Amino acid sequence: MGHHADTKTSDSDTTAAQGASALFDEDGFLLDPDAWNETIAENIARAQGMAELNELHWQVIDFLRKYYMSMGKAPLNTELRKGAGLSLTQIERIFPGGIKFGARRIAGLPNPKSC
Amino acid sequence: MKKVELTINGLMYTFYVDDQLVLLDLLRDKLCLTGTKQSCDRNGQCGSCTVLVNAKPTHSCRAKVADLDGADVISIEGLGTPKNPHLIQEAFAISGAVQCGFCTPGMIISAKALLDSNPDPNTDEIKKALRANLCRCTGYKKIIDAVKLAGRFLRGETTPNQERPDSFAGSIGVSRPRPNSLTLACGVAKFSADIRMDGMLELAVVRSPYPHALIKSIDTTKAQMTPGVVGIITAKDIKGSNRLKDDQPLLCDKKIHVLGDAVAIVAAESKTQALAGVEAVKVEYEVIHPVMTTKEALAQDSPQVHEGSMNLCYEHPQIKGDAEAAMNQASTRVEAEFSTQLIHQAALEPEASVAYMEPDEEDNAKLVVIGRSIYIHHHLMVLQEVLGWNNIRYEQAFIGGQFGMKMDITSEGMAAAATLHFRRPARYVCSLEESMQITTKRHPFEMKVRLGADKQGKLTAYTIDFIVENGAYTSAGKSVLNRALYMLSGSYDIPNVRAKGRLVYTNNAWGGAARGAGPPQVNFALESAMELLAAKLGMDPLEFRLLNSLKPGGSISTGQVIEEWPYPECLEALRPHYQRACREATSNKDGRFKRGVGIAGGSFGIGRGGPDRSNVAVELNSDGGLTVYGSIADPGEGNDAMLTQIASHLTDIPPEKIRLIICDTDRTPDSSSASGSRVTYMSGGAMIKAIEGLKTTMEEIGAKSYEELVAAGKPTRFLGSRVAETTLLDTTTGQGTPFESRVHGVQMAEVEVDTETGAVRIHKITAIVDPGTIINPMIVEGQIEGGVDMGAGMALREHYVHGKTRDWIGLKFPTTRTAFDIDVILLQTPRKRGALGAVGVGEFVLLPTAAAIVTAIHNATGGTRIRDLPANPQRVLESMKSPSN
Repeated sequence: MGHHADTKTSDSDTTAAQGASALFDEDGFLLDPDAWNETIAENIARAQGMAELNELHWQVIDFLRKYYMSMGKAPLNTELRKGAGLSLTQIERIFPGGIKFGARRIAGLPNPKSC
Repeated sequence: MKKVELTINGLMYTFYVDDQLVLLDLLRDKLCLTGTKQSCDRNGQCGSCTVLVNAKPTHSCRAKVADLDGADVISIEGLGTPKNPHLIQEAFAISGAVQCGFCTPGMIISAKALLDSNPDPNTDEIKKALRANLCRCTGYKKIIDAVKLAGRFLRGETTPNQERPDSFAGSIGVSRPRPNSLTLACGVAKFSADIRMDGMLELAVVRSPYPHALIKSIDTTKAQMTPGVVGIITAKDIKGSNRLKDDQPLLCDKKIHVLGDAVAIVAAESKTQALAGVEAVKVEYEVIHPVMTTKEALAQDSPQVHEGSMNLCYEHPQIKGDAEAAMNQASTRVEAEFSTQLIHQAALEPEASVAYMEPDEEDNAKLVVIGRSIYIHHHLMVLQEVLGWNNIRYEQAFIGGQFGMKMDITSEGMAAAATLHFRRPARYVCSLEESMQITTKRHPFEMKVRLGADKQGKLTAYTIDFIVENGAYTSAGKSVLNRALYMLSGSYDIPNVRAKGRLVYTNNAWGGAARGAGPPQVNFALESAMELLAAKLGMDPLEFRLLNSLKPGGSISTGQVIEEWPYPECLEALRPHYQRACREATSNKDGRFKRGVGIAGGSFGIGRGGPDRSNVAVELNSDGGLTVYGSIADPGEGNDAMLTQIASHLTDIPPEKIRLIICDTDRTPDSSSASGSRVTYMSGGAMIKAIEGLKTTMEEIGAKSYEELVAAGKPTRFLGSRVAETTLLDTTTGQGTPFESRVHGVQMAEVEVDTETGAVRIHKITAIVDPGTIINPMIVEGQIEGGVDMGAGMALREHYVHGKTRDWIGLKFPTTRTAFDIDVILLQTPRKRGALGAVGVGEFVLLPTAAAIVTAIHNATGGTRIRDLPANPQRVLESMKSPSN
């Protein structure tokens, strides 16, 4: 069963939190990228131990969202670097879990394991 | 060397050849006439390489060029081109005889030889002429139809234009030829092994001769010195994770888990040199006792297949109601054990991949991998992790059949690793024997079942404990086990269910996705138990199934309440055929050859099971055409036709102006895999949403054309996403909503058993299928015919033994000799959430087949029901020694 971002061990499908209700897979990835919103992103970030999302984080998240919603897939790293205006090292550093399991998860992209 | 003068496709050539060169290699390697294929390791078993030599069909893999001086050779390229095809090529396209298309050139050449000498052949004559040409996709029915149609064309009785649906026929429910069919029929479609590049390395792989061993050392010194060898790659040279799956290395570093595991890649200037290099690599192994059965694997003192993991690597229960209490209260119960065997999906095309580096805008060159994946975006990600190289593009070549086995990476990893390491194009073309060793198989199941009913014959309880032999690696093992649970109660209303599935490692070939992937195995057990119970109750099997069919508002074993369930309609559609068959069988009960009839049903969930999503984009083109973008593999199912016909229907753009971009990770959205019979439902659904986006935008601004859309500053490209409203199963109860919709059907087998030899001849299979709205009836029929043929192989013949099954004869590959009459009857109950009401059909079709055939054998002989597949002659004779039960 999917679970909610801020109730990691819950089996609930529909638990709502802070006005944001969404289903996640067993690795904590949003099941439906369309269900993403900024509150959910902040919830996921907190669950990953990030105190807050700053401007640089949003730069990356916004690019990932925009790319995915228009291209229907995640960008290659070269595209991410150009699109977000940050080096890959920077992005890896500011997102615990790195690009695939940090930034992509917070941006609400599907689990790369099951894309 | 010998001087040989040949005419090939009307052109004269002079060659100087050695004694060993065969015509196949001359055509493919020297003349780039790659329409002539190779599948059987040049053993003359498959017919894919058939060409005409002096008007006679000839296996070019066996014909020495040195013996052909003065010969006149015609290959598939000599017949026609997609723009100017030969009438036989047209007939194959129009008849739906081209699925994956790998066998098609050889088939067409054999058909030409037949029609040149016999312009009006009957079915038996066609079967005889094509007996040496193998096809895994079609069950041969549409191929035979195509040869007959070609005869009519050649005799001037009709023309392609008369037989092809015209442009006014519409697009839904119309049997249009697949857009790719002539490309395949003319031999110009490029499969992976057809691709050659300048400076390309040829690869060969060092593989373990042991199923279970430790690698003590690898010595490549001598191999490095072998002429032509450029280098050798071992696990230490792989910069990424070197893991295709959590438990599966690309190249083994410490331990061997199965015979054929890869240890090193040898790259050389030629394949012969690479193979010589393989012989020169010395690997020192410490052999460990192999675990070859699930019983052994589950024993307390069994060696572990994987360090750090129990051999019992996964288990999942299912609990609906109280099955034990209901079973105890049942007035009638049956109990039995069933088993199904390890089966190779047996796509005709051997495994092959090519890789090269492509200049990129920046220094970071792009690794391009060309292969046979039906899951390109996922496999792109896997390769990124395996190799530690992010900038990759995966490009799918034409795929010569797949049936699930191309859900896993095989040859791509080797070609990609070599190209990255040596920075040269590299090609890895496997032998058939090697292809069998490195691909997934259909998991064997051992199943212990109980089924109970009340006095009226209503099912009350079902229990099943099943063990799935995972083999050495967990490809789709967990998914296959879950999919068995998703579809456990089949077509029936069973209020109380208890099940437990266990997945067990062995050092055997590993299971993976295989047409149906789990449900065919458990459906064989359930449908066999239904027969046992019907007999014990004294009820007619068809009436018993009707009585117990699930109905809208009822729930399946996962607890999901269903809205649509047109199974009773399928049974009713079968009734007159069943009555006819039973009458005929009754009059054929005496003598050596006895006739029997058996029926079995099934239902199959559409999608990946649990969360599922597909993204597809459409773009309006400046010429008024439409381009569809999606990673939608078409290894023969006809997805190209489905997309084209739906898009044309919704946009009124003619089919010839619908373009498909479906093979390239750079250019496509992620539509997920071509598996789970999901493509029409999920990706067709996503495309419909994308088209709706385009049409809505055009309506909003009153635009009628591309120019007006652009002038209004609107985008011309729209992305559509289809997200299934489904869940995985609860891990403690096995309850959940795995699928939105299903395909249903019932099959009837009529068989004739030779009571002296135990041989079974299938007289006819009648298949009733309700796949919702039918986009292209010919393609749906083709899927059913091929699937039933594969189900018959599972029922009667096929049993892959790792390391011993090495070729198509050993595999008991279906031929025109084993082909049988198939009567397909299609019902169309539009599904509420289907793509224009359609679901998928490709996997469902073999669910009922094995049980129906085994029941027919039982009814023919009156012997004991066969419970272990395949029902080979030995088992049939054995079953006749005991009285009926």
